[in-house]
Amino acid sequence: MKDGWGFTGKILRVDLTERRSWTESMEEYAKRFIGGIGLGYKIFWDDVGAEVGAYDPENRLVFAPGPLTGTLAPGSGRFEIVSKSPRSYPKETVTRSGMGGFWGPELKYAGYDALVVQGKSDEWVNLWISNDGVEFLSAKDYLGEDTFSTQIRLRKELDTRCQILCIGPAGERLSRLAVILSEMTFASGRSGFGAVMGAKRLKAIAVRGTNPLGVFDPQRLIEVSKKVRALSNQNTSRERTTLILNLKEREEFINKHRKKNTGCFGCPLLCFTHIDVPGVDACAAHCISYFYHPHATKFYGATLERDQAVAEAYSLANRYGLDTFEFWHMINFLRDLRDAGLLNQLGLDLDNIGRRGFVQKLLESITYRKGFGDLLAEGCARTADHIKNGWEFCAKYFPAYGSAAHGPIRKSPALALLWALDSRGPLVDQHSYIRLSISFPNETPPLTLPRERAESIAQRFLGSKLAIDHSTFESKAEAVIQTQDHSAVIDILVLCDWLFPCFHSFATEDRLGDLSLESQLLSAVTGHPWSEKELNRAGERVWNLARAIMIREGRTREQDTIHGIFFREDKGEKAVFQTALEQAKTEYYRLRGWDERSGWPTREKLEDLALFDVANDLKKEALLT
Amino acid sequence: MNLQFTDIHFRRRKTVVVNPKVCAGCRTCEVICSLTHEGCIDIEKSRIRIKSNSFTGTFHPQICHQCSDVPCFYACPESAIQIEESSGFAIIKEEKCTGCMACEKACPFKVIGYAEDRKKAIKCDLCKGFPECVKWCPVSALGVADFGGENPR
Repeated sequence: MKDGWGFTGKILRVDLTERRSWTESMEEYAKRFIGGIGLGYKIFWDDVGAEVGAYDPENRLVFAPGPLTGTLAPGSGRFEIVSKSPRSYPKETVTRSGMGGFWGPELKYAGYDALVVQGKSDEWVNLWISNDGVEFLSAKDYLGEDTFSTQIRLRKELDTRCQILCIGPAGERLSRLAVILSEMTFASGRSGFGAVMGAKRLKAIAVRGTNPLGVFDPQRLIEVSKKVRALSNQNTSRERTTLILNLKEREEFINKHRKKNTGCFGCPLLCFTHIDVPGVDACAAHCISYFYHPHATKFYGATLERDQAVAEAYSLANRYGLDTFEFWHMINFLRDLRDAGLLNQLGLDLDNIGRRGFVQKLLESITYRKGFGDLLAEGCARTADHIKNGWEFCAKYFPAYGSAAHGPIRKSPALALLWALDSRGPLVDQHSYIRLSISFPNETPPLTLPRERAESIAQRFLGSKLAIDHSTFESKAEAVIQTQDHSAVIDILVLCDWLFPCFHSFATEDRLGDLSLESQLLSAVTGHPWSEKELNRAGERVWNLARAIMIREGRTREQDTIHGIFFREDKGEKAVFQTALEQAKTEYYRLRGWDERSGWPTREKLEDLALFDVANDLKKEALLT
Repeated sequence: MNLQFTDIHFRRRKTVVVNPKVCAGCRTCEVICSLTHEGCIDIEKSRIRIKSNSFTGTFHPQICHQCSDVPCFYACPESAIQIEESSGFAIIKEEKCTGCMACEKACPFKVIGYAEDRKKAIKCDLCKGFPECVKWCPVSALGVADFGGENPR
């Protein structure tokens, strides 16, 4: 690594307890872990013990862009947040959650490769980061403000061009559903990191940077970026995030009210939609934001009231700073409980799910922790613990770790395996595998991936053409390893997982994508000649580090699983074959070079990946065989 | 440089035109502009800037209009802004520029920037007629228009 090319060379560290800040060299981290989640996990490995809880002052919030963030590379507007997650269930664990927008690039322009926040402030505080360093500003006046007005006021006060991360009233009240939000809808949602900010009494982080960011070979970067854009031409992600699986009614809703498409920094896809429904404040939205659509459609039919209810739902969730992904399933969960007669009204008007008033009430009571909302604010998983037989209804929607379901686990063995082996819901940053393996049954013919093409791509990139065969667990372990390593590469650079890894492309004759794009981009930006293989190894290294953290937190082979309900048949939906899953797990550990019995990484593997320090630390804690 | 008043005001010229209605505010134009002109990513020195209000969804790219009456050209005390006879572009010749920023004060659209490191005024030079920002805009919010047509003479 050389300062100035892709890297700025500095990590900004802030201690809120002592109100002091200092910088640290990036070099040691960048050599092995590059940036993004790699940096985040390393900081957690070094600084934070397994006993630290999400709300403890010792917990860190690592905001980590990567070397590609803020460059021309398409989809490079993202950054990753790593922290101990309050959402993780049954206990709080270290995990990741990325977000897009403009904040990450701005931090790089301010001269920092990452921001690490620790401690806990006495009083509510805003951070103001510029080229000159950090200022601690009182956030007393901002308390109780929603996310939008916090940002509008801060921009007026500080700089109209600054980029802001903030939490809403939900985060202030330590709701485990709280997100960290930027602009209208860029959010780090899955892991409840908004509550960690709330626990630190940190309301907002504003950044404005005007420094140049060097690129080793601008001409090469331009060439490769053009190639990425050409290959992702006709990438269907925009339609898929705005329209969700091309559902007809949703398409009508969006086309009727769409003002324009917007997106993150430097992105050609622009998967967010600005939506302006009469009678509701305008808001931007994408895929999971439309969580209320099915319920409202059932209640109102295709009317304007329906559209208002849908728009009100995501607009309010964003303002309060709540995770829409959770609500996608929470409302179904509540409905199922109601139908089973397990819940009374609880002041939530459960008979009228779908009505505008219901969702207003639900979001408000969760945000301000009123009545039953106080419990729901802890997340559905923790709510289910308090209800008799609650998990019978909850597990379907929250297969593991208290993470909301995403993707048909029962229909895809690879998904079951991905879920079993992660520290949070794995999809969202492993989209590409799903895009390939499900291969778009709903798309119009020119955009469908023919079976034999998908198979040859799977053979090439995932180890076997059986990788996309959903009838068997065979060769899934290899496919899952490839997918995880690729996704780790994306998360350390940091790029968008809608564009990378490019398994397939609709722009090439044989539909074959190109997995060397990431390494080409990284070489052009940093000047170090990265090969695809080397970069994948870095991904593998980060995945092993993440595993080491999980092991230190007490993860065992037995816990590498999904909820038992998936091993049973349910309403005609077939069961996941548990013995086969266990066999696939054994194969996975073996291929990873880990201990098959315990699921622990082995010394040979860790040393092979140059993780000597990690191996020694694990040995000290007797977690290495 | 023996251009007459009519030569200047009715000159045939190209300019980047913007359509804020479709601009998505992704700022690719700012990145590619600074990358091609400065060799690094330096948004502050980009010749095109987007004025954004993400809460209303309004994004307005700000770029030199190559005005017919060229106020910057007349304002420059050093004759550092020249009008290329072949293309009709008003272009800052950096070797002559002293960084007094009289041009910026005269500019009705406030699209002339200042390169602090080398103390020069900077503005859009249309990339020799084929602007990179136009090529890279993912939603075609930018285009090139040809104004002026024939000289009246």
